[in-house]
Amino acid sequence: MKAAALVEVRNLRKHYPVRGGVFGRQRDTVRAVEDVSFLLHAGETLGLVGESGCGKSTLGRTMMRLEEPTSGDVLFEGRNLASASAAELFTLRRDVQMIFQDPYSSLNPRITIGEAVREPLDIHRLGSAADRRARVDELFEAVGLSPTVQERYPHEFSGGQRQRVGIARGLALRPRVIVADEPVSALDVSVQGQVLNLLVQLQRDLGLTYLFISHDLSVVEYLSDRVAVMYLGRIVEIGKRTSIFAAPAHPYTRALLESVPIADPRKRRDRVPLQGETPSAVHPPSGCAFHPRCPLAVAVCRGEVPALESVRTDGDDGHLTACHRHDEI
Amino acid sequence: MALLEVEDLCTVFHTEDGVVHAVDGVSFQVEAGKILGIVGESGCGKSVTAMSVMRLIPDPPGRIESGRVLWKGRDLLAVDADEMPQIRGREIAMIFQDPMTSLNPVFTIGKQLGEVLDRRFDLRGAAADERMVEVLGHVGIADAEQRLSQYPHELSGGMKQRIMIAMALMCRPDLLIADEPTTALDVTVQAQILHLMKQLQQEFGTAIVLITHDMGVVAETCDDVVVMYAGKVVESCGVFELFVAPRHPYTRGLLDSILRPGRSKATPVPTIEGVVPSLLQPPAGCRFADRCARAVAQCHQDEPLLATVSDKHLVACHLPLEVPPS
Amino acid sequence: MMVWRLNPITRKRLQRFRRIRRGFYSFAILLTLTVVSLFSNFLANRRAIVVSYEGTLYFPTFQYHDMATFAQQDEYGFDDVEADYLALQARFAADASNNWVLMPPVPFDPYEPDFDYAEPPPNAPDSRHWFGTDSQGRDVLARLLYGFRISILFAVTLVFVGQVSGTAIGSLQGFIGGRFDIYSQRFIEVWSTLPFLYVVILLATFFRPGFLLLLAIMALFEWIRMTYYMRTEMYREKTKEYCLAARSFGASRGRLIFRHLLPNCLTPLVTITPFAVVGAISALTALDYLGYGLPAPTPSWGEMIDQALASQNRDKLWLSIAPFSAISITLLLVTLIGESIREAFDPKQYAQYR
Repeated sequence: MKAAALVEVRNLRKHYPVRGGVFGRQRDTVRAVEDVSFLLHAGETLGLVGESGCGKSTLGRTMMRLEEPTSGDVLFEGRNLASASAAELFTLRRDVQMIFQDPYSSLNPRITIGEAVREPLDIHRLGSAADRRARVDELFEAVGLSPTVQERYPHEFSGGQRQRVGIARGLALRPRVIVADEPVSALDVSVQGQVLNLLVQLQRDLGLTYLFISHDLSVVEYLSDRVAVMYLGRIVEIGKRTSIFAAPAHPYTRALLESVPIADPRKRRDRVPLQGETPSAVHPPSGCAFHPRCPLAVAVCRGEVPALESVRTDGDDGHLTACHRHDEI
Repeated sequence: MALLEVEDLCTVFHTEDGVVHAVDGVSFQVEAGKILGIVGESGCGKSVTAMSVMRLIPDPPGRIESGRVLWKGRDLLAVDADEMPQIRGREIAMIFQDPMTSLNPVFTIGKQLGEVLDRRFDLRGAAADERMVEVLGHVGIADAEQRLSQYPHELSGGMKQRIMIAMALMCRPDLLIADEPTTALDVTVQAQILHLMKQLQQEFGTAIVLITHDMGVVAETCDDVVVMYAGKVVESCGVFELFVAPRHPYTRGLLDSILRPGRSKATPVPTIEGVVPSLLQPPAGCRFADRCARAVAQCHQDEPLLATVSDKHLVACHLPLEVPPS
Repeated sequence: MMVWRLNPITRKRLQRFRRIRRGFYSFAILLTLTVVSLFSNFLANRRAIVVSYEGTLYFPTFQYHDMATFAQQDEYGFDDVEADYLALQARFAADASNNWVLMPPVPFDPYEPDFDYAEPPPNAPDSRHWFGTDSQGRDVLARLLYGFRISILFAVTLVFVGQVSGTAIGSLQGFIGGRFDIYSQRFIEVWSTLPFLYVVILLATFFRPGFLLLLAIMALFEWIRMTYYMRTEMYREKTKEYCLAARSFGASRGRLIFRHLLPNCLTPLVTITPFAVVGAISALTALDYLGYGLPAPTPSWGEMIDQALASQNRDKLWLSIAPFSAISITLLLVTLIGESIREAFDPKQYAQYR
């Protein structure tokens, strides 16, 4: 049996109005996140992967209630973040925290890094002033920074060090779930490795649960236990990391995997890359949104939206895909 | 003879905090019809090198202090400034990382491409349209007639980068300098653009300098590679040799920190500890010495020079790594 | 322990501003002039600063003393009118007593006419009136000085009210966004098309505008410009990740605005303020010139220019030189300050070869 889910996302939707005219009437709708459901188990890392505009960052922000969900639920231990009142949300935020992508804009340039890490403690009024100071020291050490640099400002640090500050700030409230939105994408390869190692070590030491959002398949493969692939606002495939990477069931996942350049000139392929680009989320294609680019598309793909179904018929290992033809592949 | 030879190029930037030696004695060669990759992490000087070759460094604050850029035997740094636009675009073309800002948003694609044809080839009207459709076909844009009447904002990032490549190729340049051409693009579109660039190289014999931070892109596309670190070239050789038998510890470190398929969080990623030295006051010896596990006293004192270790394989290291047994 | 510190961005900008000499010196000069003009009553006044009479000290600057106090009489023999301190000073000097009078450097106030001349006013500059007198015999230098004080105080107050309300309204538009932003923006667009001069002329026909009323009328239009800048700044800053981060751990709206957003949005406020001051001084002068500004005897530069340009005064050059140079110099100083601030705040981190 599977462990109970720590977070359950049910039928989450986030639509943005497209407004125009003198008094801003709604002209159209961007369906950034469309009917997304998944479970996040305690202690695991779920990698959420997809290309730009697929809705993965919006999904993360909507889960955090940084964007108001259009509909759906986000249950953390049965408490619903999506419909929580301001006061409930304030307490829930202690358990669910976020780490951001851009180490240059995620820290306020006018606030010292020590204050930045202490701010969540101040807001939630945790402990006395001395407690907070001790906690900030502890956090700095936990992320591999010397507590003596607290008085300095963000611009004095490199991208990797700033990202460590961002992680320390995310950990300040002792959260149990961390939504990490592309935390290593802006970093150089050698620094990226340092931050990934830190994230793994923190997860092990503190028993954290990660929702790890990234466009980088190799990073997702490295860090995740399970992986969800998004395309145009929907999850098209979800399952264990090993089965997704070894036996992708959705044609889009396959195309993604094939597109990643391999760092070995001996394995050069003269492949024909996937044609076309992601269509607009304002007017997504009918049926399966991937059908205009899919080499396997048939009539039914144009007509019906495929549901997430178990890939293997002989047993349930949690590998689901939304493709009409997955059992023929 | 090499098509492009860069010798001992030094470019500095004057800032409020002092003089930044962004490119400090860089030398490399580009062979006709080959793809040369310049690879390195942010701030290593790879883009500044390309801008210096094109003489596009904003002055002030930047300035090319010394060196030679021999283009078909002629020193571009000594060429009259008025003559550079003739060479830029016609003989050497350049495309940039951000296709979003490279096109003028107030003109249609057709107008921007047409201007190049008009200026360079005196080609106008139907003849120009025909040529544009042909070139757009080459870069894989199918409904070209329709695209010509569109504005940049109506096109996706990948489409814009294709247009930029089309514009660069319209003059049949001998060399295309591509500065992180796929960094802003999605991985599926990146694959399309890299595929396109290889096709063009094979079809037209255009030499390409591909500037990137992505070792995967280098492995997939380049013939030769130059590795830069903190404003210097640390290693330069053929792509196979680089990936199979790197001789500089920094190259080795970079290759090790790549997340290869199948790797999981059960084993930590090998990393290069420490940070890149400040280019305001670069250290005396080898610039990598502080982060290098193999460094000895000499590394902190004498600067290693780029020296040949085997055929066409240059390394700037006092203690280059051994070639692993094959 | 809270130690108030400048954050490094502000510190760097201040340093850069100080290094731009023309701006820094202009700022120093203008600040000195402003402070000095606050003490105009001790600089240009027909009342003495100190009078020592029969062992008692008098400070008449802000207090009325009649002639009887100093055993003085006017030409008609009355002694219940205000003392004539210049005559008093002359008398004490003549009778060699221990009594003395300390007069201000300019012993005239900007209202009192001086008819001690054979010619009718305006009288050309001489040792008595350094800058001459105007068509009503009032000292030009005194009027210039008081006019400066009124202009600068009016401009600074107006700009302060305008910038603060503009910043507040613009920030709220940007921060709240949505419907509030759309409707308030439409309102601002309509409001900003109201012709300012007509509104002032219209109101001036019903009320005689004093300092405060004029200030209030002009403030109705002054805030608009700032909202445009603050609105866009807020829109840009609030999408940055540090703001999302603060929201993600539950920061209140007040904390978001005052601790995170506003400090990062203030560049346009600081860079625009000096130019707004220039605009306010010019606007006040123009209104005074047209006769819709401050009421009559108030010393004002616009009124002085009006006099200087009157047809019968065309040959009285001193009447035009004084206010024109005063306005030019003041506007030049403020413009230099504004231009230097703009340069100090320039995000381009360029440095020149030194």
